[in-house]
Amino acid sequence: MLSLAQLSPGHRARILQIPPEKKRLLALGLRPGAVVEILLKAPLGDPLEVRAGEAYLLVRRAEAKGILVEALSVAEPHELPPVRPTR
Amino acid sequence: MNCPRCDPPDNAALEAPSTRTKRWALVGGPNTGKSSLINALAGSQLSVGNWPGTTLERLSARLDLGPTQVELVDLPGTYSLLATSPEEALVARELLQHPPDLVLNVLDAGNLERSLVLTLELTELGLPMVLVVNLLDEAEAKGLKVDLEALEEALGLPVAGTVASRGQVAAVLPKAKEARIPSPKVRYPEPLEKAVDHLGPWIPNRGLALLALMGEENLPLSQEALEAVQRARESLKRMGHDPYLLALEGRYQKAREVYERAVHRQGSSAPLTERLDRLVLHPLLGLPLFLLALFLTFRFTFALSAPWVDFIGRTQEVLAGWSGALPLPPLLRSFLAEGLVAGVGTVLAFTPILFLLYLALAFLELSGFLARMAFVADRAMQWAGLPGKAFIPLVLGFGCNVPAIYATRALSHPLDRLRVALAIPFLACGARLPVFTLFAFVFFPQQAPLVVFGLYLLGLLVGLLTAFLLGRVLRADRGEGAMELPPYRFPPLRLLLRLSSARTGSFVQGAGGPILLAVLAIWGLLHIPLLGQSPYALLAQGLTPLFRPLGVEDWRLVGALIPGFVAKEVVVGTLGVSFLGGETLAPMGLWEGLRNLGEGLVQATQGTLQGLTSLLTVNLSLTPEPTPLQAALKEAASPSGALAYLVFVLLYTPCVSTLAALRQVVGLRWSALAVGYQLSVAYLLALLAHRVVP
Repeated sequence: MLSLAQLSPGHRARILQIPPEKKRLLALGLRPGAVVEILLKAPLGDPLEVRAGEAYLLVRRAEAKGILVEALSVAEPHELPPVRPTR
Repeated sequence: MNCPRCDPPDNAALEAPSTRTKRWALVGGPNTGKSSLINALAGSQLSVGNWPGTTLERLSARLDLGPTQVELVDLPGTYSLLATSPEEALVARELLQHPPDLVLNVLDAGNLERSLVLTLELTELGLPMVLVVNLLDEAEAKGLKVDLEALEEALGLPVAGTVASRGQVAAVLPKAKEARIPSPKVRYPEPLEKAVDHLGPWIPNRGLALLALMGEENLPLSQEALEAVQRARESLKRMGHDPYLLALEGRYQKAREVYERAVHRQGSSAPLTERLDRLVLHPLLGLPLFLLALFLTFRFTFALSAPWVDFIGRTQEVLAGWSGALPLPPLLRSFLAEGLVAGVGTVLAFTPILFLLYLALAFLELSGFLARMAFVADRAMQWAGLPGKAFIPLVLGFGCNVPAIYATRALSHPLDRLRVALAIPFLACGARLPVFTLFAFVFFPQQAPLVVFGLYLLGLLVGLLTAFLLGRVLRADRGEGAMELPPYRFPPLRLLLRLSSARTGSFVQGAGGPILLAVLAIWGLLHIPLLGQSPYALLAQGLTPLFRPLGVEDWRLVGALIPGFVAKEVVVGTLGVSFLGGETLAPMGLWEGLRNLGEGLVQATQGTLQGLTSLLTVNLSLTPEPTPLQAALKEAASPSGALAYLVFVLLYTPCVSTLAALRQVVGLRWSALAVGYQLSVAYLLALLAHRVVP
């Protein structure tokens, strides 16, 4: 199974499983069933910026490894169509 | 939907005339604009203090509503009553143990779904509530239209829409009059509902019962109730249910339902925040931009305050000169000039620095930049087991430890705050530099810059190691580094100014007394004769044997460390006096003093303007002019003794003001421990330095 840490910027995924003791991640909105999008990686490669709903979150790699997901789009980031319609 | 045990809506509590001050608590997620709201509602009445028994900042304001007085209290931002940090734990503790007269639940209109999750949790507590949907402007920019009436209908609670940053808060007070105790809104999956029912006899409050079931440990419950909770949790787990996930699921489902009724999407564009982040957090540009922002913060704080610190120093000289001209006994003149004026001056000299630091920090925090800086620095800070935000206080520490310690308040976890605050005193602040350069040029003329740089590095290493080890000792699990990156915002200037002045005021109130006392004590030590000798000389000579193993054998060197405990700025001056003889206090006439002050004011203003235009420049001067003191010092120690002395000066307690700041940020017990730790580390490493250098 994929973990959130294995995805690259531009990818979207649905969270399948997250350790229930990770209360802060859960409270921030990273819960089973939520759809997330990887926006970018920090200049030093860690952490990740992730969008969950309307929230922008910083998630460390070490923690992203514990979040199991299914990828929703597998295209290369620059080939991705805009995620949201532009006006 | 309604729970049968809950009280019917009750307005009586709010309308009953009462002369006592009512408490309204602002509860909401982080970055929902609660401080903007309190500022817009109460204007200049903002005050900053600590929560009783804690070192967490408490922002409050008074509100005069005709017959009643209201105290508005800003509770720390939280996503849930089930705490993931002690700061969040305070929210549940306050609401349960000191129930406010009204809960103003602040919601982010741009992220209503997640805001509603907390709202739903709050409705279970049985407290009078009103909802404030803030940041309507941001929601609109995102293409979201919030239907406030639909929200009122869906939740059965009054809802006020606001844009607090622009002062649009008129709806809040009328709606607050309609506040009522809500009925719980979430129907949880059957096993969880059963467990709540089952706990009824011990815990009648539904919210409390749910918190207990979800695993919150610090609740005001009897032993019997706790045992019942334990049994219920175990039986749920046996059925394969995690009570926390069940409750969260129930709330998210309901929040989604309400959200869909109340929020309408009118097309959308990639938000500005997302586009700005691509630039600010760019893989290549991100790091230089981060360093630039760090540098600007540092320069803003220290370069712009320097002229005013000088001005305060000058005022101090004038006041001292005036007291020197008074027809009083010499000892009393000296007490006024070198004790009282110097003490008050020491406290006030920090106010320009702190005000500007607080201004810079509040701007960074409320604009969203602080979170981005934390994002960039996070990887580097993980080595020391610290969050990214810890970078900023650490960098400020090289300017001055006092504002740096206060800057740790931007860290959301008190344990991180403690670790960084205890690391900061080891960082070589600007006041230590004159001591370093003086000794380095006397004893290591060839490698002076290298020695000074090495000292800076040593301070940083000891500081980081302290933070790292303290983390290991105090916490087995490393906690979670995840945090939210709030949208970029223009914080209202008035709020920034008010917050900064309230926080600076809190420094003067809380730290001013102890600093003044310490300066007076040192004055007494230096000036009140004891058995025909100065107690300073006696003490210094008494301490000298302790420093012999470090290769420091001259009592005058040891003696200078004593006032150095109050402020490192005075170490060089004290050495000058004890090696070369004292300087006399120059009395000053009234007009001479006034002229002096006037000149100082002009210079300070000019300096600030120059500082503004040269924020990006650096000046590093390391070469001191040759002085008689240098020649005198040469004879006082060996190079290895001098190095040990420098290491000791670097690492022992930096100044009494740092201690006063520590006491305000981490409490008395930790500050006392810190002093012992600093002295031992300084001594051991100085000993090592003496042994290593031939």
